[in-house]
Amino acid sequence: MAFWRYAGRRGLHTAVTLLLLVGFMFVLFRMIPGDPTTMMLGTGELPAEAQQRLRVLWGLDRPLWQQFIAYALNLLQGNLGMSFYFRRPVSEVIAPMLANTVLLMAPVVILAIVIGVAGGSWLGWRRGGRAEEIGAVLALIPRALPVFWTGIVLLALFAYQFRWFPIGGIREAFFFPENWWQRLPFFDITRHLVLPVATGVLASVADPLMIQRTALLEVRHEDFMVLARARGLSGRAQRRLARRNAILPVLTYSAIMVGFAFGGQVLLEVVFNWPGIGRLMVDSVTQRDYPVAQAAFLMMAAVVVFLNLLVDLAYGWLDPRIRGG
Amino acid sequence: MAGWTRESAVGEALGIRQTALSRRRRIAPVLRLALLPLGSWSGRFAIFVLAAVVLVAAVAPALAPYDPLANHFDAAGQLLRLDPPSARYKLGTTYYGLDVLSQLIYGTRIVLVVGITCAVLIGVIGTNVGLVAGYYGGRVDGLLMRLTDLAFGIPFLPFVVMLVALLRPSLWNTIVAISMLMWRTSARVIRSQVLSLRERGFVRAARIAGASDLRILYVHIFPNVLPMVLLYVAFDIAYAVLAEASVSFLGFGDPNQVSWGQMLYLAYVSGSIRQAWWWTLPPGLAISLFVIAVFLVGRNYERLTNPRLR
Repeated sequence: MAFWRYAGRRGLHTAVTLLLLVGFMFVLFRMIPGDPTTMMLGTGELPAEAQQRLRVLWGLDRPLWQQFIAYALNLLQGNLGMSFYFRRPVSEVIAPMLANTVLLMAPVVILAIVIGVAGGSWLGWRRGGRAEEIGAVLALIPRALPVFWTGIVLLALFAYQFRWFPIGGIREAFFFPENWWQRLPFFDITRHLVLPVATGVLASVADPLMIQRTALLEVRHEDFMVLARARGLSGRAQRRLARRNAILPVLTYSAIMVGFAFGGQVLLEVVFNWPGIGRLMVDSVTQRDYPVAQAAFLMMAAVVVFLNLLVDLAYGWLDPRIRGG
Repeated sequence: MAGWTRESAVGEALGIRQTALSRRRRIAPVLRLALLPLGSWSGRFAIFVLAAVVLVAAVAPALAPYDPLANHFDAAGQLLRLDPPSARYKLGTTYYGLDVLSQLIYGTRIVLVVGITCAVLIGVIGTNVGLVAGYYGGRVDGLLMRLTDLAFGIPFLPFVVMLVALLRPSLWNTIVAISMLMWRTSARVIRSQVLSLRERGFVRAARIAGASDLRILYVHIFPNVLPMVLLYVAFDIAYAVLAEASVSFLGFGDPNQVSWGQMLYLAYVSGSIRQAWWWTLPPGLAISLFVIAVFLVGRNYERLTNPRLR
């Protein structure tokens, strides 16, 4: 199958997936008792007449499928509605939060992959040794720790006990640098990033590490590795060669990892008070600010879905055999 | 246990059988498979931890020194807030004057309920979706796999939080929300297994002999994917327990139950994490220990299903 036909079909699947997601969310939010008029204006305070007029104005009297079409069309135009809580358009509320989340998750993903590749290569090279066996079990541990608990422990130690890092948030409202290195640009934000990024890396390093280890084990006995040994390459050069050739699975996994990171970062943002899109969603659900909650959720889902599409297209481009299935 | 090696257990329990086995010959390999983790030090450790959790959950009321939801007061009648560990309260008290040890003990029940119920739900949904999609192929397969893609497109934790918050927080809603997405992984894996199994000789033979689709699916194919199902369900137990703890930590736990995630939530929102290590360390360690134990059991089985790791 030609690549473009494959890409078109995958694109169509993605569109259907997104539409189903939007529909599912739409129905879910309609299942809550009451409608926005009861929610916004309290019960009994608004004359029934005015409430009825608002319903007509907002189109809540029309059949559900008409409401859904109107909602979907608005969504396509980037109109996500008004926040009940912030009293501003949802898109205005969400955009800066999305940027903050990217600011937090980019270093997490990059560091997790770099450390994972280095650690996985090290473990893979020591196949069969005692160190490898213990290392493999140790690698399971960070994945088993609840992210929020790691965050709490790091906070208690490094923010409350030693006071090395701030206890949360993204920047200090009034930060006065005391010496030259505190005057460096982004010093304050970087200071706030250290603990959440460390927690995130700890939680997500295990997968790239194990994948790299397995890939290295497979590469070790390839012909070109035998040749490298025969040519008398130094141990370091051999390791380098193996590492480079084993890195492909981790790279393809990294796109999936970004997808997992989106969604998994909710806990990180809540523990460290990071003003990102995940915490926004949790807060909005609690405050019953449903337009924001819905939009934040759809935004995260859209990122995951598009990344999946990207991975599929990359696979299809590199390996024509996949296009048929 | 003399005379059996790991490999012979593999051969009998995992080997693709060409004929149906008699009942007795079917049970022995399953028993060996169940005892397999006892063959390694990490497996023995894991089984010990899991057995301890089950035991503590079973006798929780007898073991717990106090009612986990009872407030405790000091001699002056003041609420005993954040009292450090002492002879009376072995793990101290919470900000709300509750006994940490009793809460920790009762928390094992939630872990077991969540782990087992989710495992059963995920196992049933995932296995059946995988079996049907892989066996029938064509349009049925296409539809079910689109559904699986949809489940993969949903960010897991936000979805669970959203659903639980909207449906009102309760243990059952959390379990349902977790299971509604988690079947996706096992469904995909089981399907790919079935795709290759359905072309094997013994399935063709059964078809020629006039076996119905249902009989082929559940009598001939299902036993052969069972080890794979168990492996994925084992890992799902761990992920489901972590997910429940996460949901509770975000404040959407069942308000009438004591769970480890909720203990951490209350410690966090009451601002007690700076000093009350006796309140924050035990539940986190308990969750981690349980999840590690499940992972280790899974790892022991993984060596069977993935010979490359041996």
